Amino acid sequence: MITPVLLAVLALVLTGPAPALLARADWPYRVPRAAVILWQAIALAAVLAALGAGIALSYSIAGRPGEPRFDPSSPRDLVAAAILALVASVVVRLLWAEGKVAIRTRARRKRHRDLVDVLATPDGLIPGLRVLAEETPLAYCLPALRGARVVVSVGALDRLDDSELKAVLAHEQAHLRARHDLVLEEFTALHHAFPRWVRSDVALEQARTLVELLADDDARRRTGPRPLARALVALAGAPAPEAALAAAKSATVLRVQRLAGPPANERTLSTVTYAGAAALLVVPTITIAAPIVKAIVDAVS
Amino acid sequence: MASEEKAPRPLGDLERLVMEQLWAAPSALTVREVHDQLSGTRELAYTTVMTVLDRLAKKKLTERERDGKAWRYRAAAPREELAADLMRDALDRAGDRREALVRFVGQVSDEEAALLREALSRLEDQEPTG
Repeated sequence: MITPVLLAVLALVLTGPAPALLARADWPYRVPRAAVILWQAIALAAVLAALGAGIALSYSIAGRPGEPRFDPSSPRDLVAAAILALVASVVVRLLWAEGKVAIRTRARRKRHRDLVDVLATPDGLIPGLRVLAEETPLAYCLPALRGARVVVSVGALDRLDDSELKAVLAHEQAHLRARHDLVLEEFTALHHAFPRWVRSDVALEQARTLVELLADDDARRRTGPRPLARALVALAGAPAPEAALAAAKSATVLRVQRLAGPPANERTLSTVTYAGAAALLVVPTITIAAPIVKAIVDAVS
Repeated sequence: MASEEKAPRPLGDLERLVMEQLWAAPSALTVREVHDQLSGTRELAYTTVMTVLDRLAKKKLTERERDGKAWRYRAAAPREELAADLMRDALDRAGDRREALVRFVGQVSDEEAALLREALSRLEDQEPTG
């Protein structure tokens, strides 16, 4: 009976306090690549632990050891089966959310791309670049398996000199090359898969910031920190009216402050972070697998 | 990435040109009319124009109506309206729609604008390191 409790506690810690603490820390920004992996591991481990708690609970309730057959006249077996059904429904819900997000994202992106293709003019500076005749300063990418686009508005071009534009384009191309959209999609799906009262924006927001940092690092290697920082300041939108935005330091401020510092080379920190991510995944997996393996061994011997 | 671009490019370019014709026209145009207008500037097969208009209809960017034996095409919405849709989509980061686009930079508050300028000037003061 101890395994399901431990796994449930682990799942709770990984959905609530752990993400909240991690989001408040500054060190993940020094190792964005490892930090993205850590966030993915936390999310995955939370799901595994929650599912594992259900499976382990069901196993510990059902029948007697060495008697793996389901007995419909036993109330214990019925409860165990109900718990397993619940676990299965959670899995279905997760997959459903993942699929729904994927379909909706692609549909919306396709519509956006259709509009870009008829409204914006191609520019030969980099492949896939489209210039939009709008005064609002904008730069973003439209990821796709084939024919990804980078969209820049005239308003943005007006505010950027050549080196700054190169830095922006390098940043966007880094997103496209690394398919950061897929990383964000996972977090979005997970976000949608949970009922409103357990989910929070933290993981999705952090993932969003971290992929920006990754793209910044890539652009910085190509063009140096200065053009990118200048471009960020030049394009940072007009002060936002929403009060909520002023609450936390925005990703833009973080990114410019980070560019002002020396390039990070944090081998130890990133190694530790990777190790932590791996450990997080191993614990629930082993705990889930152990009783199942034991049951199989018991049944065979 | 260059190779990814090659296949869809020529038609994509034409789509924009065809849409521009439709937006500029006072009423719906037949394929023949669009073809005549475009072939003033470039050599173009009639069937290509037909394909492009068909693709645009599938993308719900044009609407067509029967006129005798021919189809007449019009833009599904004025250019300004589509541009407004596009901008709304590009700028919208709220709620459920947040997943589709990631912009280079978001909005900042007044305080943050000051922080930004300060961080930038610190960077500009440093020795150039390349």
